[in-house]
Amino acid sequence: MAKVTREVVERSGVNVDQLVEMLVKNASAELTTYYYYTILRFNLIGLEGEGIKEIAETARIEDRNHFEALVPRIYELDGKLPRNMNQFHDLSGCPPAYLPDDPTDVKAILNVLVEAERCAVRAYTQICNMTAGKDHRTYDLALAILNEEIEHESWFSEFLGEGPSGHFLRRGETSPFVSKFLR
Amino acid sequence: MREFTKQELAQYDGRNGAPAFIAYKGKVYDLSSSFLWQKGNHQVLHQAGIDLTAALNTAPHGADLLAKFPVIGIFCE
Repeated sequence: MAKVTREVVERSGVNVDQLVEMLVKNASAELTTYYYYTILRFNLIGLEGEGIKEIAETARIEDRNHFEALVPRIYELDGKLPRNMNQFHDLSGCPPAYLPDDPTDVKAILNVLVEAERCAVRAYTQICNMTAGKDHRTYDLALAILNEEIEHESWFSEFLGEGPSGHFLRRGETSPFVSKFLR
Repeated sequence: MREFTKQELAQYDGRNGAPAFIAYKGKVYDLSSSFLWQKGNHQVLHQAGIDLTAALNTAPHGADLLAKFPVIGIFCE
């Protein structure tokens, strides 16, 4: 725990217990998504699936990075992860990104992926709204993650025919926004 | 369709096995099946059993997400 860190956030008007709970729920969402995306990625095969596999892999790795980046902030604010992994899974801030009943249905997999990203975009927007101008470090972290989640959403959305994503896929390293929290 | 007063709606807060109902713009929705409303709690900040019309204005999503849940009553303030 970083005592003064927590104190100054509390004094700024943020309910730190609520904030920590939200960070834990989102850490769970990131780690469980990493797990479920592993299964989704393996099932993205064939002429349709192979074209999406790379962005699914990038999103998968970046979601794991988000988990890694969130955990230190949870402990700084006097929070902790549940001792029980099952409990951690079930408190996730987003629903499990299960493989569709028909694993050959690439569009169904894309829908799972885009819904997972949309849940994340909403969650980090909420954390940014809560912490803006009050808890600078959590805000900076949530904003960095939000930037990556928005890109993930736009990639999958583009493949669903909803419109251009507006940017290219990753060129080079993953997590261009979050990497500063991983050092 | 069943009518819910504020006091009646409060009984359906999702705790202790109760269903999770919320009101929005005069309609009562049953969110019990939602992963995001387990035990009636939504993203730490909201508990079922109340009128969330005002709260939804500041949420990071619109009312369209309610459309997939059944309307089971009318909210009478």
